[in-house]
Amino acid sequence: MTIRRPRLFPLVLSLPLLLWQLAFFLFPLVFLVAISFWTVRNFQMTPDLDFGNWERILTRNTFWDAYARTAMLATASAVLTSLIAFPAAYAISFKLSDRVKQWLIFVLIIPFFTSYLVRIYALQVFLSDAGIINALLGMLGIGPFLMLNTTFGTLVGMVTLCLPLVILLQIFSLNFVNRDLIEAAHNLRCGRLRTVFLVIVPSARVGLVIAALFAFILSFGDFVSPLYLGGGNPPTLSIMITDITKSGQQWPRAAVVALMMIGTLLTVAFAAITFAYKERGK
Amino acid sequence: MNIHTDMKSDAIVKLDGVVKKFGEFTAVERADFEIGRGEFLAIMGSSGCGKTTTLRMLAGLEDPTEGDIWLDGERVNGKATWDRDTPMVWQSLALFPFLTVQENVEFSLRMRGISKSERTERARKWLDKMQILEFADRNISQLSGGQRQRVALARALVTEPKILLLDEPLSALDAHLKVRMQAVLSNLQKDLGITFVYVTHSMSEAFAMADRVVIMSRGRIEQIGTPQEIYHAPRNRFVAEFLGSANIFSGRLAGTSGDDWLIDTDHGRFAVSALHAPAKSPGDAVTFIVSAENMRISPEGSGVPGIRARVVGEEFVGATAIVFLETESGEELKVQKSHGELASVDLHPGSTLILHWESETCHVLPGE
Repeated sequence: MTIRRPRLFPLVLSLPLLLWQLAFFLFPLVFLVAISFWTVRNFQMTPDLDFGNWERILTRNTFWDAYARTAMLATASAVLTSLIAFPAAYAISFKLSDRVKQWLIFVLIIPFFTSYLVRIYALQVFLSDAGIINALLGMLGIGPFLMLNTTFGTLVGMVTLCLPLVILLQIFSLNFVNRDLIEAAHNLRCGRLRTVFLVIVPSARVGLVIAALFAFILSFGDFVSPLYLGGGNPPTLSIMITDITKSGQQWPRAAVVALMMIGTLLTVAFAAITFAYKERGK
Repeated sequence: MNIHTDMKSDAIVKLDGVVKKFGEFTAVERADFEIGRGEFLAIMGSSGCGKTTTLRMLAGLEDPTEGDIWLDGERVNGKATWDRDTPMVWQSLALFPFLTVQENVEFSLRMRGISKSERTERARKWLDKMQILEFADRNISQLSGGQRQRVALARALVTEPKILLLDEPLSALDAHLKVRMQAVLSNLQKDLGITFVYVTHSMSEAFAMADRVVIMSRGRIEQIGTPQEIYHAPRNRFVAEFLGSANIFSGRLAGTSGDDWLIDTDHGRFAVSALHAPAKSPGDAVTFIVSAENMRISPEGSGVPGIRARVVGEEFVGATAIVFLETESGEELKVQKSHGELASVDLHPGSTLILHWESETCHVLPGE
């Protein structure tokens, strides 16, 4: 049956991915949901159907404070990263020759070669009170500024984490912008700067939104920057998870926090993608 | 005869020795011509001939390397496209997919800071004129090719410019819609009385709509004239070959006979009307054409003097057919006749016919 074969092909081709996701994403997720209803007695987890963990976490102000802080940090990181990346992505995509473009894209991949944790340790040296930045500022007679163990420090780490990925996604989406549209806008009396906001950004909207979404996702779940550059106190949700597991084997409660995070990311991703692909007109 | 027809005193566009180079590559070698107010001018040629580059220089999307471009009495070299009033319709149409139909049409009004209410009114007036008002709130992706075409025209014309530039806007349409849009464009241009500069590779489009046609090849202008002039009196071999309907013969001037020239060719001596011919002396090389529909055919052995040629094949073109023939020396010739006229001769591939013509139907190429 030649008609049925094409339906089977996509399934066969995506089988490795499906198996992987089943084994290492869906199964652990189901397990996570299950243990969020378990109980802990004498540091021992017992299978149960108890809503106490959910009640305990969701009625606590400390959880909601951490939740708001994490969401704010991730939003700030996504916005900041997008704003810092866009001018460079624009210049690379529109103003440089293909050859230079290739080299720059290669250079942008280099940060992925080194471990994020190592890079954050290096940043600690830069940001600390007696660190390199404050030493340089001191020579100019300014400072020292408190940067390590602050929200600023956390954001520096998150933006550093997200920048290479965001800029690559932005470049690829800008490369697909129809150049005729830009000339048409100029021809219809739209100057260069206005064309960026009225034509280029709307044309590349899907890619730009997805780049920002990735920054949000990476920052929302990040554990390293809030801990090593932000000081870990007050905690973000990822720090809260480790804190809860350390105090009395409360894996079920940590599962509740983790599930709240996953739910939030799914909601944000769905909203962002809906917005990105929304069409104008009836 | 000059390749450039007489200067128009009321020109809206004047190209004065315009050259455009991209690095080593010369896209436009030298353009010197004027476009009249209210004229429909087509620039025609195959791809890479410099026609689009010429149009883009008028739009201000490219700057000439040498020479001057005058627009409505003003020298516009170096003037950005957003400071000119030269809207263009792109081959891809370049409609903004993230805006509705009406927002697309309003775009250039918005750029001029015109109030929302006036914008709406003017945009809707043009949508109505282009018969697409009912689609005002639609997304571009929901429109058909012909409807998009109309949006692109409305968007370019909403500011009521003096000149409209069109870069092969009909090339993506099917044949039927293409002919209908040609009529829309033609009528629109006559109604508005503004200048249209229309770039195309299609002779049928150019000849159907344009008052004058510019034929370009490899950055050079080969001929400028009305479709009639170009069709009946091509200037040189390139134009004659580009039109594709003519048989081209080369020879040397042997003498005269009354008003005719006698020309010696590989196929013998022919009398050729020298009405439009340039001054030549005996012995000079002469190229002349006989169009396919002016060719006559007689069966072999009929005793009529002419060129012997073998039938290669036949192609139907509506009520007529084009017969392709080959001479003994391998030269390709063609004859276009009604099916009735062709019925009297043997058209089997391989059969031999005699081709001949009247001297007054010949045209000497002045540019050769």
